[in-house]
Amino acid sequence: MNLNRRFSLSPGRGMLVMSLWALGTAVAFPQEPDDDEDTREGRALYESHQCWQCHGYEGQGSVAGVRIAPTLYPYEAFAVLVRHTNLMPAYSPNVLSEAQLRQIYAFVLSIPEPPPLEEIPELDFD
Amino acid sequence: MPDEKSHPTMSEQGESASVNRREFLSSATVAGLAAASVGTADKAAAQQVASNESAPGALPPTALQEAMESDVPEGYSADQAREYFVRNPGSDFMVDMIKRLGLDYITTNPGSSFRGIHESIVNYGGNQAPELLTCVHEEQAAAMAHGYYKVTGRPLGVLCHGTVGLQHASMAVYNAWCDRTPMILLAGNHLDATERRAGVEWSHSAQDCVRVVRDYIKWDDTPFSLQHFAESMARAYRIAMTPPMGPVAVVIDGHLQEGEVGDHAHELLPVTPVQPPVGDEAAIAEAARWLVEAESPVIVADLMAHDQEGVERLVALAEALQAPVVNQYGRMNFPNTHYLSQGAGAVAQADVVLGLELFDTWGVINTLRDRVHRDAVRRVRPDARVISIGTSDLFTKSNYQSFQRYYPSDLAIAGDAQATLPILTDAVLSSMLRARRATNAERESRWRDAHAQARELALNDARYGWDASPVSTSRLYAELWNVVKDRDWALVSDDNMQSRWARRLWPIDRHYQYIGRAGGAGLGYGAPAAVGAALAHRAEGRMAVNVQRDGDMMYTPGAFWTAAYHGIPLLTVTHNNQGYHQEFMHLQRMAARRQRGIDGSSWVGNELRNPDIDLARIAGAMGVWSEGPITDPEDLGPALARAVEVVDGGEPAFVDVRCQPR
Repeated sequence: MNLNRRFSLSPGRGMLVMSLWALGTAVAFPQEPDDDEDTREGRALYESHQCWQCHGYEGQGSVAGVRIAPTLYPYEAFAVLVRHTNLMPAYSPNVLSEAQLRQIYAFVLSIPEPPPLEEIPELDFD
Repeated sequence: MPDEKSHPTMSEQGESASVNRREFLSSATVAGLAAASVGTADKAAAQQVASNESAPGALPPTALQEAMESDVPEGYSADQAREYFVRNPGSDFMVDMIKRLGLDYITTNPGSSFRGIHESIVNYGGNQAPELLTCVHEEQAAAMAHGYYKVTGRPLGVLCHGTVGLQHASMAVYNAWCDRTPMILLAGNHLDATERRAGVEWSHSAQDCVRVVRDYIKWDDTPFSLQHFAESMARAYRIAMTPPMGPVAVVIDGHLQEGEVGDHAHELLPVTPVQPPVGDEAAIAEAARWLVEAESPVIVADLMAHDQEGVERLVALAEALQAPVVNQYGRMNFPNTHYLSQGAGAVAQADVVLGLELFDTWGVINTLRDRVHRDAVRRVRPDARVISIGTSDLFTKSNYQSFQRYYPSDLAIAGDAQATLPILTDAVLSSMLRARRATNAERESRWRDAHAQARELALNDARYGWDASPVSTSRLYAELWNVVKDRDWALVSDDNMQSRWARRLWPIDRHYQYIGRAGGAGLGYGAPAAVGAALAHRAEGRMAVNVQRDGDMMYTPGAFWTAAYHGIPLLTVTHNNQGYHQEFMHLQRMAARRQRGIDGSSWVGNELRNPDIDLARIAGAMGVWSEGPITDPEDLGPALARAVEVVDGGEPAFVDVRCQPR
């Protein structure tokens, strides 16, 4: 997984994200969403704020925005990526409140893993 | 001021010319007569002969001369025949000269300012080599020439009105200019104001009709005689085809086309190719020394390979150095199946960067962050040295800024990179000592591992969003691969807007399998360039595949009619994301930067829905087999299989697929 290489953070924020990511990995993210309403609200926000334009409807990422689902990092790292990186527009709390961002995160968490490679014959390029 | 009445009227001028012609016929040279009277092939040969004849004195009329004089259709007097008929129109000579250039086709949307040559191409030239391709817009005509060249390496002619036609064509000409693609624009015009018919012929004439595109073509001329035309065409071809290549334009005056060839012998000039410029030998030796001594040399190639030979030359250099190659895919420069094919990240660790025909050298070394204060950030090591080999310093123009930001390479070599590569590779091999050569095995192992990891990552990434609706772009390309993989295929579109899934998933090892981008990023390139490229592939029996963006398609949908009309097999699959996606993101960035938020409003000005555009019906209305829109990814594979059957039958097919944004 090379997600960290695809972010170019300032040194301080980069360290923060890396630390949070390491923490998230240590506590076995991704986690199940604990609130279906948050997930539903999060989906609506993901759509209306058009996160999908760069990250795709399934958070799968694209050449325009990194893959964000199934997520590999905790909310704190997710928030840094949304609010403080140079990779994407900085979404301040005036645009996306803390509560809204957490709902979006809940939705991202709810996105399931795709099928394994072995179960997709179209991706057998050998 | 001369008395106007002292000048002959047009009819008087014509009569005067006729009289002079008759007088001439009784005393002119045999060579000149032969040139003026014989048919296609014979005439060309005769004119060649004529050009080599010295001018003799007057001779008695020959049987041929007499036959010409008596060549009056039954029921007409000689005067009537002169009034009604043209025996040897100038545009026939023009066609002879155009045939010398070896143009396979001329794309055109018909127009009265070139009706003379239109008729000559069809009847005199037999509509073969060149054959006219009917287009429904000049932008389409020029973009077809763009796509055709990138497969064959041969330019096409583009025949259009000098005024309204060039204005329509200008966007596609600009793309070709940015993409260093040659084409020969033939622009109809009527310079002599006293010869123009009233009304439209005035609106369709200009004092300087090429001015509208002159900022982004290499050269143009307005010939005043047929011999001038012949010389200008030969010159135009050479200029267009000499790197850095680009479009050229020759104005074909209506009077020259429709009038008689006249009494003078005209010479059809041979068209000799110009050898591409090669870099300076001493500079190449220095570049070789830097590359051999480098611990982490990286090669970046963009508009480099003209053909498969260029690909193989780059493979030879990369293997000699065991240096990774970052292909920017302006052309297919390097096989992505080769272990030295690496991602753009490889540049970051380079101590020497070799740039080959880079569109943007500065942009390889730096990036300008899109923030409130746009600051530049260097991507590569501070101590990295940059060698550039390319033709961009040999020719450029001032107004349009497609030359990109200035970068002071540490060693800049002017020369065609493909032509220079063998000399550079020889210099590398001859200067590489045994100790340096011994490091190659370790480098090879390292890059093989990196290549394998990147491949694994690409396949893994392709899974995400696999079952999504709209269809993911990775699935689009994976499904497409399954219908083309057992054929001789070629992608005739750029995958940049589909997250580069073709480059990441499909094994691309032939030059013709990928033709790069539009050049100037002007929309309207996709469909016609794909049709032009597919036409080139038709001759080779290849299956051409076009992944068509919906916004781009709406500029030039008529290209699909041309594909149907001329029986050009082409499999088109849309990447239909129902909007101008790039602009969605720009609007989001502005709204976030100003802390206003987007909250649904980014559709305004950017969406292509409500009503949804039924792209399949558009293609169908053009006579193309079509299906869609496909929204369920499970329906995609079967639809593609049906479409391939149509293409196998020699016809174009079209499948509209609602896709994820990128």
